[in-house]
Amino acid sequence: MNARGRQEGNAVTQALAQIGLCGLFLLTLLAAVPRSFRYVRETIRQLWFVGAMSLTIIMVCGLFVGMVLMLQLYHVLSIFGGTSASGMVVALSVYRELGPVITALLFAGRAGTSITAEIGLMRATDQIDAMELMAVDPIAYVATPRFLAGVIAMPLLACVFCAMAIFGGHLVGVSWLGIDNGTFWSNMTAEVDVHTDIVNGVLFKSLAFGAVVSLIAVFQGFTTPPTSEGVAYATTRTVVASSIAILALDFVLTAFLM
Amino acid sequence: MALAAVFGYLSRFTTVPSSMTESVRATLDDDVLVRIRGLTTVLGGKTIFDQLDMDIPRGKITAIMGPSGTGKTTLLKHITGQMRADAGEIRVDGRNVAELSREQLYKLREGIGYLFQNSALLTDFDVFENVAFPLRQHTQLPEELIRNLVLLKLQAVGLRGAAPLMPSELSGGMARRVALARAIVFDPMLILYDEPFVGLDPVALNQVLRLISTLNQTLGITSVLVAHELAAVRQIAQHVFLIANGKVVAQGDPKTIADDGSPWTRQFFGGEADGPVPFQYPAGDYAQALGFAGVVK
Ligand SMILES: Nc1ncnc2c1ncn2[C@@H]1O[C@H](COP(=O)(O)OP(=O)(O)O)[C@@H](O)[C@H]1O
Ligand SMILES: [Mg+2]
Repeated sequence: MNARGRQEGNAVTQALAQIGLCGLFLLTLLAAVPRSFRYVRETIRQLWFVGAMSLTIIMVCGLFVGMVLMLQLYHVLSIFGGTSASGMVVALSVYRELGPVITALLFAGRAGTSITAEIGLMRATDQIDAMELMAVDPIAYVATPRFLAGVIAMPLLACVFCAMAIFGGHLVGVSWLGIDNGTFWSNMTAEVDVHTDIVNGVLFKSLAFGAVVSLIAVFQGFTTPPTSEGVAYATTRTVVASSIAILALDFVLTAFLM
Repeated sequence: MALAAVFGYLSRFTTVPSSMTESVRATLDDDVLVRIRGLTTVLGGKTIFDQLDMDIPRGKITAIMGPSGTGKTTLLKHITGQMRADAGEIRVDGRNVAELSREQLYKLREGIGYLFQNSALLTDFDVFENVAFPLRQHTQLPEELIRNLVLLKLQAVGLRGAAPLMPSELSGGMARRVALARAIVFDPMLILYDEPFVGLDPVALNQVLRLISTLNQTLGITSVLVAHELAAVRQIAQHVFLIANGKVVAQGDPKTIADDGSPWTRQFFGGEADGPVPFQYPAGDYAQALGFAGVVK
């Protein structure tokens, strides 16, 4: 019992130590950015893997989120006779919250896990050590390109997600439920503000989420015990830690930006 | 600038007869390439090395043997500067590894080839690109020269035809030979082999064995061989160290070391289950663990 109590105490300190280590790791990553300019091709390749390869899931999910959102709003707003505002409400909720948050959650599940698993397996098969011994800095060659690719890809993916969600809302609202096409667009353009909704809402938030998710994914890959068990745990931890970080950070950012 | 790089690189290949390099080197500095003094390392509360001394001679094949988990891999990691000792000093070609900056360490590592037990080929690239990887990272050689160098090295390990294959398509022995081609692409002064024979069939084992000895003889590369196979070690190594309990417990000519009469060599080379290396992992009292304490007596 005594031992268990000590273990739980350790769990808290260990979590704090992990966060501290993660912060130090971020500094290492950033310090390696100039050195990783040599590996621009590697960054572009990673951008393809984490960005382009996530497009399908982001587009499909965006479409459905927009469609279901419109369906729900239409029914609620019809009670007050305000269905003409539903396009605008879809747009605002997608830009301010759902777009960046859901994209980040999907990104953590799709790209984050694969980054962690890939780096973990590279360590388990000594590939990282081999680079180190071939005098190639694994931070600059493996970690930083993946981190940068995540930071660049997230805002772009969030924009695609938002566009698909609006499209899905339009599909359900205008084509199916019969909202007037002109009303749909004009209400939206009247209420959406480029600065607060697009720049602060979509772009800034997703930039921050992209940095957090790819940092966690790369960190987990680099610090996990290099065994198959360790890699399995690390991918799970990437999803759990990313999800918590995204939602907590979303609250903080929203409080400051609104 | 590119031209200077080419000449700088090509000068590494200027062939001097190996007997001459030997004698010149011997007069320039001493015959010991890796000098380890008082090495002490504690990992996770366990003393891995305890005041270990070792001299690895230049231009020879030196074998390091010992029970699993004694720290042979750890020793190699100390030589390459991947791990730091708690005390003691390691000099590679006269340079104290622990005192080198990151850049100097990377410079030193360009002169060291390392063969991992599981080959450690980069899974993203095919065989050709794996061997070309160090060249692409550290030189700006024109594509044609890189191609020729890579094919030269692959030919040396007998795998020129495997250039377009991916690592997952190779057998264990082939993967290890590709890794060897990659390790020698810069013509290192020192190659560290970590258990290169494990998991190879007799044919592949002999191929790797012959390669190690050929590289040593034709290019004069100092080789450090961590292995368990005394028969293989006897064929090619000139000197063998037996380490156990953090110290060198025996050393000498691999042909005669098994008969030197020490209990360590008798157990290790005779393959006896119990001896100085205990069969039992340290544990408490057996009778007590079974709940018989007091009953038996
Ligand atoms: N980073 C580490 N932290 C703690 N213990 C380690 C570490 N690396 C190796 N060890 C321990 O050091 C010992 C020697 O390991 P190793 O050098 O791999 O042995 P060998 O190669 O001789 O089989 C093992 O008991 C291993 O558990
Ligand atoms: Mg080992």
